[in-house]
Amino acid sequence: MEIDVRRLQEIVGEEDVRDNAADLYVYGSDASVHEANPSVVVRPETVEEVQAIVRYANAQLVPVIARGAGSGASGQAVPIDGGIVMDFKRMNRIKAIRPRDVLCKVEPGVVCDDLNRALQPHGLWFPSAPESGRIATIGGTIANNGSGVRAIKYGTMRDYVLGMKVVLANGDMVTLGADTRAQASGYQLDRLMVGSEGTLGLIVEATLLLRPLPRFKAMGMAKFSELEDAGETISDIVASEVTPSLLELVDDIAITALNKTLNMNLPQVEAIVVYECDGRMKEAVDYDMATIKEICEKNNAFGVEMGSDPKEMERIYSGRKKLFAALSRYREGLVCTSLADDMAVPSSKIAECARKIHEIGERNRVVMNAYGHCGIGLLHTKILMEATRKEQWEDARRAVDEVYEYVRSVGGTTSGEHGIALSKAPAWKKEKADSLQMMKAIKAALDPNNILNPHKLMDAPDDWVTATKLRYPVKL
Amino acid sequence: MTTEKARVPGRAMPLGARKPLVDPREIEFSRLKKWASELNLCIRCGYCYEHCPLYRASSWEIDTPRGRLLLAYGLLTGEVEPSPYVAEKMFECFYCGNCSRSCSAKVSPTDIFTDARADLLDSGYAGEGTTARNDEKLCMACGRCVSACKAQALTLDMGSMRVAVDRVKCKGCGVCVVECPVGAMSQRAGFGVTREELSAAVQSYLRGINGSPKVVVFCCSWSMTPGLQLSRMESAGAVNASGVIVSVCSGRVDPGLILDAFHQGAWGVMIACCPLDECEHDGNYRARERCVSVGRLLDVLGFQAERLRLEHFATGEVQKLKNAVKSFAGEMASLGPI
Ligand SMILES: Cc1cc2nc3c(=O)[nH]c(=O)nc-3n(C[C@H](O)[C@H](O)[C@H](O)COP(=O)(O)OP(=O)(O)OC[C@H]3O[C@@H](n4cnc5c(N)ncnc54)[C@H](O)[C@@H]3O)c2cc1C
Repeated sequence: MEIDVRRLQEIVGEEDVRDNAADLYVYGSDASVHEANPSVVVRPETVEEVQAIVRYANAQLVPVIARGAGSGASGQAVPIDGGIVMDFKRMNRIKAIRPRDVLCKVEPGVVCDDLNRALQPHGLWFPSAPESGRIATIGGTIANNGSGVRAIKYGTMRDYVLGMKVVLANGDMVTLGADTRAQASGYQLDRLMVGSEGTLGLIVEATLLLRPLPRFKAMGMAKFSELEDAGETISDIVASEVTPSLLELVDDIAITALNKTLNMNLPQVEAIVVYECDGRMKEAVDYDMATIKEICEKNNAFGVEMGSDPKEMERIYSGRKKLFAALSRYREGLVCTSLADDMAVPSSKIAECARKIHEIGERNRVVMNAYGHCGIGLLHTKILMEATRKEQWEDARRAVDEVYEYVRSVGGTTSGEHGIALSKAPAWKKEKADSLQMMKAIKAALDPNNILNPHKLMDAPDDWVTATKLRYPVKL
Repeated sequence: MTTEKARVPGRAMPLGARKPLVDPREIEFSRLKKWASELNLCIRCGYCYEHCPLYRASSWEIDTPRGRLLLAYGLLTGEVEPSPYVAEKMFECFYCGNCSRSCSAKVSPTDIFTDARADLLDSGYAGEGTTARNDEKLCMACGRCVSACKAQALTLDMGSMRVAVDRVKCKGCGVCVVECPVGAMSQRAGFGVTREELSAAVQSYLRGINGSPKVVVFCCSWSMTPGLQLSRMESAGAVNASGVIVSVCSGRVDPGLILDAFHQGAWGVMIACCPLDECEHDGNYRARERCVSVGRLLDVLGFQAERLRLEHFATGEVQKLKNAVKSFAGEMASLGPI
């Protein structure tokens, strides 16, 4: 692969191109188990620069991998074939906040939580910021079709994208969607970009729907001595007439990890269900909270606590944000890997799925736990394992296969929010077996030279363990 | 692909390498080795980006704690070859410790960097980074910097009457730079904390706003700064709209800088620093002394001393800082311009 670095420097300026070994190594990772170095990193600041880079790459048949913050958990931004990593962090302008239209226009490098900070004075928010929103970018979140803890009430990223400007593989820019909520028939091409993981086009601007900030919020925490009861509680709440704004499961492994690293002082029980309700009237919020409490107690919850102290709610919420990393300290000798980490199942299956996850972990000599935004059927798990031992990767491979086999058997899906890329591609390809050709046809039509984030999703290698070098010092 | 040499900003490295460069493959990294399992525990989530003043200045991922941990990991596994550029990056850290404090995997990046520095230095890869340097031609060997340095990174060699900087110990607070009466101590530009850079930041902020009370806030990076992390408002121009200028440690805000801000049109200047016993560098005590003397000077000149304010904030007290800035701005609005 020949890349003329000087040509790229002419486009974006010398300061915004790097091709020394150390920078390339850093840009070869994200939060996944994968690692592969790019050939060069460029940081465009304008649409024209993006177009010029893509035109150059398309002519030279060089891969272009979009990168936001690199917080993806499945290797989305890992350049498996090398090539140009296009870092969008300089395209970080909040271009317009239009309260009367309840929308905003932003560049892809805007950090999700920054957007919320900027919206707050207008009494508005963007509810779909992921847990990683303090660094994750809008571009990356759209391309992953991410979601946050509030998805049960407010929906996921695809519900917030009204439109976008996208640079295609040939360098042309298209405007997709509109500044309206109602958009009738015709192919929903903006939606096609949501979740495309940088394989179909480069998002250079997004129009996002906003919501008014809720006036009242209250949070509750219910303890359970059986994981199943907690799971059933969640299913019952989802099927009830109340829609909480947050509904999370935390299992005993997660509780241990949070107490150990963050001194959260959570009760050491088998499972906790955390819920939040929000709204315009305190009485309405209280009413919903009471209904949920009843459902919890009907399912053998004990010591249900409720409150609306913002500090305490923030403490619980920020603990939740840090759980992924905290799991690293669950037990000496184990590391926390992002594998089989965000499957979704129909809401009646939460309890069964949580139990299966624990069983599969035990059977395969790794630790697997269950937590997450279960209100949308999404269960997070991490595989805690001895990552420097070769055999553990065989164990992990088996565990991942078994989990996804179960998920498919109940009509679930491989990834609820973290994306597919490399780690989840083998399972996802099985899930989507009969639509893979359709996806390949779309990819070939929009990116005939296969330059945009190649070899991801349906084109990813069939074995995730050997798809790239692993980020741990282990010889397979 | 055309190969291009690593661009190291500033002076060519390595500086003052007393030891010969060791063949990269031969380096043992004996200190770094003990962190091998900690490096595996880092989940590479990148949450540390938010807190890093270096990343704010450059927005390159190599300038984040995660980026540098990756370099440390690569040095151990042989995937990253030691080079002057890598050493330079390893010596770039202000040791505010925000990353270590906020890491929920409880990894301590700063401790790892310190050992990586020592190993690199042993092999002759001495980066300069954010560490202090001493210009021997200007230095009068008065020793003021030595006694000001709480990290004990400076020593005065009585034989040669020279000040030596221990680059492993130096935490880049810049207190010595301000303490030096002859301008012999300095830090490399490029991180937004030299006198010139701070002054330019003040200038560009004051030029960028019109109308509202022009309030400049020097804020140490230990207490975590409020506002947008890395995004920009279209209308706010190139600088941040809050007037908060991160000075790394309040100890490096010298009287000249404060007076310069007034000279450039500030209505009020606030110095936001750590609570009195909590500054690792005692920079806040120095800032307090300076505030008293500059306040007196303002009085003598016929301006109100309350235009200069010192406030203390503990780590993470972002909301308190925001409120204090707001109320200070309100007071300055009633005083009007100088
Ligand atoms: C601790 C932790 C917690 C997390 N919590 C959540 C969560 O609650 N919900 C959730 O959904 N995810 C979560 N994630 C996963 C991830 O952080 C998010 O999906 C996030 O939105 C990714 O954003 P990013 O900017 O880091 O994207 P990156 O990782 O940089 O990129 C992700 C993908 O987007 C593509 N991309 C980036 N920018 C563009 C662009 N401008 N145009 C086209 N394609 C682009 C990339 O090519 C890549 O395929 C979490 C991750 C971690 C480590």
